[in-house]
Order: sequence, then structure tokens, then C-alpha cells
Amino acid sequence: MKKTSLGILISALVSLTAFNTALTQDADNMPDSEDIPSSLMTFFVTSEPIGDGGNLGGLEGADAHCQALAAAVGAGDKAWRAYLSTQARPGQPAVNARDRIGTGPWYHSKARLSDYLGRRLNRPIIQSQIHGDTLIEAQRGSNLTKEFALTEHGELINGIGDPLPTRHDILTGSQTDGRAFTDDADHTCNNWTSNNEGTAQVGHSDRVGNGNISWNSSHATTGCSQNDLVSWGGVGLLYCFAID
Amino acid sequence: MTKIRILAATVLLSSAVSPVGFAQHGLEGGTPMTFFVTSEPIGDGGNLGGLAGADAHCQRLAEAVGVGGRTWRAYLSTQARPGQPAINARDRIGTGPWYNFDGVMIARDVAHLHGDTLELARLGNNLTKQSGLTEKGQIVPGLNDYKHPRDGDWEYVKTTPYSNRHEILTGSRTDGRAFTEDLDYTCDNWTSNRDPSPGQAPTGLGASPDKPNVQIGFPDRNGGGDGSWNSSHGTRGCSQTSLVRTHGVGKLYCFAIN
Repeated sequence: MKKTSLGILISALVSLTAFNTALTQDADNMPDSEDIPSSLMTFFVTSEPIGDGGNLGGLEGADAHCQALAAAVGAGDKAWRAYLSTQARPGQPAVNARDRIGTGPWYHSKARLSDYLGRRLNRPIIQSQIHGDTLIEAQRGSNLTKEFALTEHGELINGIGDPLPTRHDILTGSQTDGRAFTDDADHTCNNWTSNNEGTAQVGHSDRVGNGNISWNSSHATTGCSQNDLVSWGGVGLLYCFAID
Repeated sequence: MTKIRILAATVLLSSAVSPVGFAQHGLEGGTPMTFFVTSEPIGDGGNLGGLAGADAHCQRLAEAVGVGGRTWRAYLSTQARPGQPAINARDRIGTGPWYNFDGVMIARDVAHLHGDTLELARLGNNLTKQSGLTEKGQIVPGLNDYKHPRDGDWEYVKTTPYSNRHEILTGSRTDGRAFTEDLDYTCDNWTSNRDPSPGQAPTGLGASPDKPNVQIGFPDRNGGGDGSWNSSHGTRGCSQTSLVRTHGVGKLYCFAIN
């Protein structure tokens, strides 16, 4: 389905160049095939979950999952980090998701693919905008949109209005500013080690649901089992960022 | 239509903690509609006949679908002029909460709608492509919908109702207030359909001296690099054809104040 539309898009562009020489240069920059150079990708949503609910094997397990999926599409030469916070424990300071992901800006897997008019489909996402660090940035909103939040294969994540199952709940364990929760309640499935008790804070990759448009902190799940995650509209997918 | 219903139902089902029940406009006990995006523009670019003309447009479309018993206001600001103070869109629309065609809440109140605090702003209100429905319950076509080389051409767009037309006129800043700079963000307070003079240096989508311009936002939250619902960027000019060049047709947000 998606490959078909991409094919149509590309053929539309190719046919356009016959009519408009000004667009020829953009057409020349198009990839020859549907293969997107993975070296350009510095952000993706995991196409598959680890599959054990909120037990990711800690931050290390989650990072390894990002790294493995990236490597499978030829982007394993970068260092990948899962966008996850962990909460403070005795002798363990909290870790903030936003501090783990490098400095950006980040491009998704189709960052260099132009649309039929030769315009870039998406601008990169940057730290201050995705977290709304100033009031005006927060009011404008993040450009981490459904169309930006593609998997490492360049595929859209099913969200509200798409065929079921919905997979838009992305695990973050974070507040809207990208930092760990500071209260005593569990927001991270016991720092990503629990597949039964606890809750995980999630964001919506399609920016729809629960009465807000937060990509990283829309609501909590009840429970940390794989079935618990599914009951809320997710499967345990992660945001992955390249730090280099 | 069926598709729209399914979309709206899914939104509601997913909103497990939302106080909004499964209620539909027009059904007994349903939540009455107090917000919509106009299904049609006035059609003369940024000349809406002032705020009065824009309000009348909202009221007329509301009447056509049986909700003319409420007082409707267009979400528009006007800029200060000699002897005329500025008017802020946020001050014109009542106190909320506002619900769309399908009874889905768009925002609880003015602060929620605009994100008056950092946390409110980061979470955002509930205006999305799926909830930003017209008075007839239609989704407003947005970015990436039915792309066509002529989707910036009014002659094509006016007969192609499913092409992108997601730029909604607001003339407002992100906080819902009027711009204070001495530049045009409101097509001369909604009276101008002019374009920049021939030979005037192209200035992109911002405001600049002597340039007819209007600030717009996106109900699909997708465009302009930020996706602001009420204040993303300006336009090429104030004529109907100029609005269309960047994928707007001159639609308005309408809110019931009672």
C-alpha cells in the first residue's frame, strides 16, 4: 500500500519534469529506487517492539533494540539511543530521556525525499521545539508529526483512524519536557524491567488521543504486561535517536 | 461520511479518561456543536467584510445545519488602528468548553485552547485533523492529502474539494492575541483582497512593510515547520488566488459563545 503510493509519487515527479524544467534538478536528487539511503536517518520509531511489555531489559536493552533495528537497515554505524527516562532509586539518580539523545537536529528515514514540487517533505526535529522549551515553542507545537514518525523502514505507524491494531502509544516514561517524573509513583515499568506491575507513560506518534497532542507524554498505561500495553493502543514501540 | 464516523468513534474510544461520552451532534442527549471549521470560504481572499462579515459567515453556515440558535464568532483578531484598539481573537469566543460536530471536546477553556502555561502548551489542545470538523462533519483536507501539481491553483482547488486547504485565517499570534507590530497580519483588518504590487520584492511567507498578508494556522497541525493551529505563518498576499498558493482557501474557525 505504502510502496504503491510512493511509486505513484515518484512517477508523478518524473512525469512532471517533462513539463517544468525548473523542477529537473530536484528530480535528479531523487533516489533512483524506493530505497532510502539509511546513512541519512538519525531518527526512527521501532517497527517492532521487544515484545515483553514494559520489560525492555533496562535502558541497555532498549538501546540495543534500537541499535539492532538500525543495523538491519544499514544504519548500524551510528550510536542509537532509545528515548526513555528512568526514575531515581536509592543510589541511582534519575535519567532524563532528553539528555540521552544527543543534540540533533534529527532526520527521519525519508529526509531527503522531496515531494512532487521538489520541496522537502519534512524539516528536521530539534530539541527545543519537540520539548517546547519556551512558551512560544510549546504553543507552536512540535513538528514530530505522524508523517515524521516513520519506522526504520520508512513506514507509518498505525494511529487513530487507521486499520487496527493501533500502535501509536510509544513508551517514554517521561514528562512533556522530556525529563523523568520526580514523584514516587511508577511511570517507567520499574525502570523498564517490569512486565506485570506498574505503569508506563506513553506519547502518541500520531499526535492524536486522550484529549491532547503530546508525542512524548500523553497518558499512563495501567499495567506493564504486553497485553496491558495493547489494551491502551500500543505494542511497546520506542523512539530511537542517533547521538552522532 | 461513514469514514468520518468511524474516525470520530475511534477518537472517542481512545479517549478513555475524557469526560466526553459517545455523543453525536443532532441526537437527543448528544453534545451540541459549539465549534466548527467553515466548510466554505467567503471567497474573496482576505476581504471578509471585517469581523462583522466573518461572524455573519459563521452564523449563516451554522443556521444551514440547524445550530443558528447560538451566537457564533469567527476566530479572528484585528490590529490596532488610529482610534481603534486591537481586538484579540481569544477574547471573542466565549469561555468554552467547545465541542465539534461529533461531540468531541476541542478545548476546556481559553487557557487550554491556547496553552497559556508551559505544561498546557506542551500537551496541546484537542484540535486535530480528526477533530477539526466542519459544520457538516467533514474533515478538512490537509498536508499530504491528494497531492496534485495544481493544488495551489484556485481554479483547480475550487472544484476539487478533497485537495489540501488546511490554512485557516486567524490574524493572531499563538497566544490568540493581535499582532502589535506595524505590519499587516490581518489583510487590513479583513477588508483587503490585495496582493503585493508587481515588482515588490518577494518576501516569503512573513509580514513586511507594505505587503498585504494574513497569519494562518492548521487544523491538521501539520505544516509550516510547527503545526500551530492558530499561528504558523503568513501568506503570499490577500487575494483568493494568493491564499490558495500556500494551500488555504480562506476558511475560518467558528466558536459559539453561548
